[in-house]
Amino acid sequence: MSTQESVSQESSTRSARPPLYRDIRVLRWAFQIAVVAAVVALVWWLYNNAVTNLQSRGLPTGFGFLDRTSRFAIPGLEGSADFTILRAFVAGYLNTLRVILIGIPLCTILGVVIGIMRLSDNLLVRAVATLYVEVFRNVPALLWIFVFYYVIVLQNLPDITDDATPLDIFVFSNRGIGIPWFNPDSSLLTLVGFVGVAIIAVIGVGIWRRKVNEATGKPERGGLYGLIAFVVVLAIGNFVAGNAFAFEGAHIDGRMIGGGMNVLPSYLALTLALSLYTASHVAEIVRGSIQAVHKGQTEASQAIALTTYQRYRYVILPQAFRIAIPPLASQYLNITKNSSLGVAITYVELVAIFQRVSNNATPALQAMIVVMFFYLTFSLSISLIANVVNRRLALETR
Amino acid sequence: MAHRHWKKVGALVAVAALVLGACSDDSGDEDEAGTDTTAAEESSGETSGGEGGATLQEVIDRGVLNCGVNGQLLGFSNVEADGTYTGIDVDYCKAVAAAVLGDPEAVEYTDLTAETRFTSLQSGDIDVLIRNGTWTASRDGALGLQWTATTFYDGQGMLVNADAGFSSVEDMDGTIICVQTGTTTEINLQTYFSSRGLTYEPLNVADEAAVLENFSSGACDGYTTDKSGLASFAATYEGGEVTILDETMSKEPLGPAVREGDEEWFDIVQWVVFATFQAEEFELTSENIGAYDGDNEAILAFINQDFGAELGFPDDTWVVTVIESVGNYQEIYDRNIEPLGIPEGLNQLWTEGGLMYSPPFG
Repeated sequence: MSTQESVSQESSTRSARPPLYRDIRVLRWAFQIAVVAAVVALVWWLYNNAVTNLQSRGLPTGFGFLDRTSRFAIPGLEGSADFTILRAFVAGYLNTLRVILIGIPLCTILGVVIGIMRLSDNLLVRAVATLYVEVFRNVPALLWIFVFYYVIVLQNLPDITDDATPLDIFVFSNRGIGIPWFNPDSSLLTLVGFVGVAIIAVIGVGIWRRKVNEATGKPERGGLYGLIAFVVVLAIGNFVAGNAFAFEGAHIDGRMIGGGMNVLPSYLALTLALSLYTASHVAEIVRGSIQAVHKGQTEASQAIALTTYQRYRYVILPQAFRIAIPPLASQYLNITKNSSLGVAITYVELVAIFQRVSNNATPALQAMIVVMFFYLTFSLSISLIANVVNRRLALETR
Repeated sequence: MAHRHWKKVGALVAVAALVLGACSDDSGDEDEAGTDTTAAEESSGETSGGEGGATLQEVIDRGVLNCGVNGQLLGFSNVEADGTYTGIDVDYCKAVAAAVLGDPEAVEYTDLTAETRFTSLQSGDIDVLIRNGTWTASRDGALGLQWTATTFYDGQGMLVNADAGFSSVEDMDGTIICVQTGTTTEINLQTYFSSRGLTYEPLNVADEAAVLENFSSGACDGYTTDKSGLASFAATYEGGEVTILDETMSKEPLGPAVREGDEEWFDIVQWVVFATFQAEEFELTSENIGAYDGDNEAILAFINQDFGAELGFPDDTWVVTVIESVGNYQEIYDRNIEPLGIPEGLNQLWTEGGLMYSPPFG
C-alpha cells in the first residue's frame, strides 16, 4: 500500500509542478536577481545623484585632475612639487604603508607578550600588564598620538642646533632621528643580488642544520645559524664589491638632517602611539585565545614536564593563534585606518595628501574616492593574508 | 582638539549630503525658485531671470544667516572668552545679516578649518564663506564658488624667531618651514623658494594651535601664512620674541565667497561690501548716517535707494541698517585690524592710494 501511494504521489508532483510563485527554484533565482537589481539600482542612483549635484553646482565630475601637477612639496621627497597628483597620492600611500609595516609586527609582538603576562602567576607581572591594557585601551588613539608627538617627541628630543650626534653617525633632534642608512649612490641591483645570495645561504644553512639535527640529535637552531650566514654573506659581498652598499652616517646639514635616513618625529610618534595602543587590544585577544584553549592542554604539558616556555611555544600558542587570527586581522585593519590620524601631527600620509589636494581646486568627492580606493587595497590585502593563514591553521575536521 | 575632529566628520557628512541629497534638493530648488519669481514680480513688476534667489529666500525663511568663519584668527574671526565672535570677517557676516534680515545679530557662525571650508559652502551648510580664503582663478573655476569682493588685501609673509639670524627669506636656505595644510600658502611657498633656488622642507600643520606647538618647540624655523595671520599669531605668541620678515611672497585677496549660480545672492553680498567702502568715501559713519540731513544727491541716493529691491534687498534703506550696525570700512578696520599693528597698505580707499573702490551707487 505504502509503495503504491508514494509512487502515485511522486507522479502527481511531477505532473503538477507548484505554481511559479511557490516554486523554490524559481524563487531562489528571483530573489538573487532582485538583490542584484537593488544593488545596481542603488549604486546607479548614488552615482547619478552625485553627478547631477556636481553638475548643477558647476563642479567637475571626472578624474582628469590626477594628471595635474600637485605643486606642493612632500617632506623627505626631493622634487615632489613636480609630482602629478596621482604620484603625490602614491607617495602618501607609501607613507601610510611605512606606518603599517612597522606598526603591525610591533603591536603583535608587544600584544602577545602583554597577553601572556596577563595570565602570569606572578602578581606584579600580572598587575603591570593589566595596568598597561587598561591605560592604553581606554584612551582614544588620537590622544595617545598627541601625547607621543607633542609631549614625548617634540619636548624631549633636543633642538637641531644643540649638539646631539652620538658617534657622529646618529642625529637625535626634534626634526628627526637620523640613522645610518644605505648610501644613495649604492646600486640597488647589487644590493638585491647580494641579499638574494644571502637568502640562499640562509636556506642552505637551514637544511644543513636540520640534517645535523636528524643525524646527531644536536639542537637545530636554524634561526641563529641563518642570521649568522646572512650577515656574513652580506659583509663579504660588500667587501668584494668595494663598499657598494655602504652605510652612510647621518649628520646635521644646516638646519636639517643630511645623509643616512631621517626618521621624522611625526612618523616616530604616530607609529609608536598606534603600536602601543593597538597592542593593548591585541593583548586582550591573545589572553582570550589562550584561555579558550582547553585547560587539559596545560595540565598535559605540565604532566610531561615541559617548561613554561615550551608549554606556550609548542602546545598553547599554536592552538591559541588559531582562535586569534580573525580578531587579530580586524586589529590590523584598525591600525591601518587609524594611521590616518597622522594628519593631526604633520605626518603626510594618504589623508594628508587628500586634504592638500582637495583644497587646491581639486574636486573633493573624486579625491575622496581615490583615497578610499587606496585604503581598500590595504584592507583587502590584510583580509586576504588573514584568510590564507586562517585556512592553513584551521583544524582539519574529518 | 576634539572639536576639530568633529569638523572632519562634518565635512564627510557634507559630502555624503552632496551624494544623497539630490532628489529632495532639486524639488526644493524648484519650489523656492517658484515662490521667488512671484515675490520679485510683486515687488518690482519684472520677472526675475531664471534660477537664483534660493539662498536669499532660505535665509529669510530661516531668519538666520549661516556664516562660515575661521574662529581662531584674531582680528578676522575670533571667539572671545564669553563666546561671542569678533573680527572683520565676523563684521561682514553681521553686515549681510543686517542688510537681509535687519538684525546684525541674526548670524549662526560655523568654525571651519582650511580643509572643510569649501565643501561646507558647496554642500549648503553655510550661506556665505567669510574665512580668509584667497580668491584664485583655479578655486573659482573648480570649486563651484564665486568670490564677491575683496575685504582685505593680504600678502604672504614669513615669521621667524628674532634671534634666529634670518634677516630675509633669502637667508632661509635649507630650513624647515611650518605651513598650514591645503592652503594657497603652501603652493606660494614652493614657488617662491624654488624660483630662488632655495631648498626647504615643509612641516604641514593642521591649524594655528598646531603651529604654536611645533614652532615653539623648534620643530620648524619659520612659519608662513598671510601677513595678517602672522601679525595675529605674533600678537598672541608667548614663546619669545618673533619678527615678520619684510618680503611679501604673494598676493592674497581675501573676501566673502558664495555658491556659484545664485546671482541674486551674489549681488547682495557684493553690494553689502561695496556699501561699506562707499560709506567711508562719503564719510558716513555708524554715528552720523542716520542723522544725515545734507543735500548731496549722490549721498541721498546711496542712503535711500530706489533700486534696493531690484538688487534683492528687502527694503531701500538697507545701507543705513548696515552702516549703523557695523560702521563703514574704516570703522571695521580700526576696530579689528588696527590693534594688530598691520600697516594699512592697500587696504585704504582708492582716493588715498589704496585699492578699496566701490562702483558708484546710483
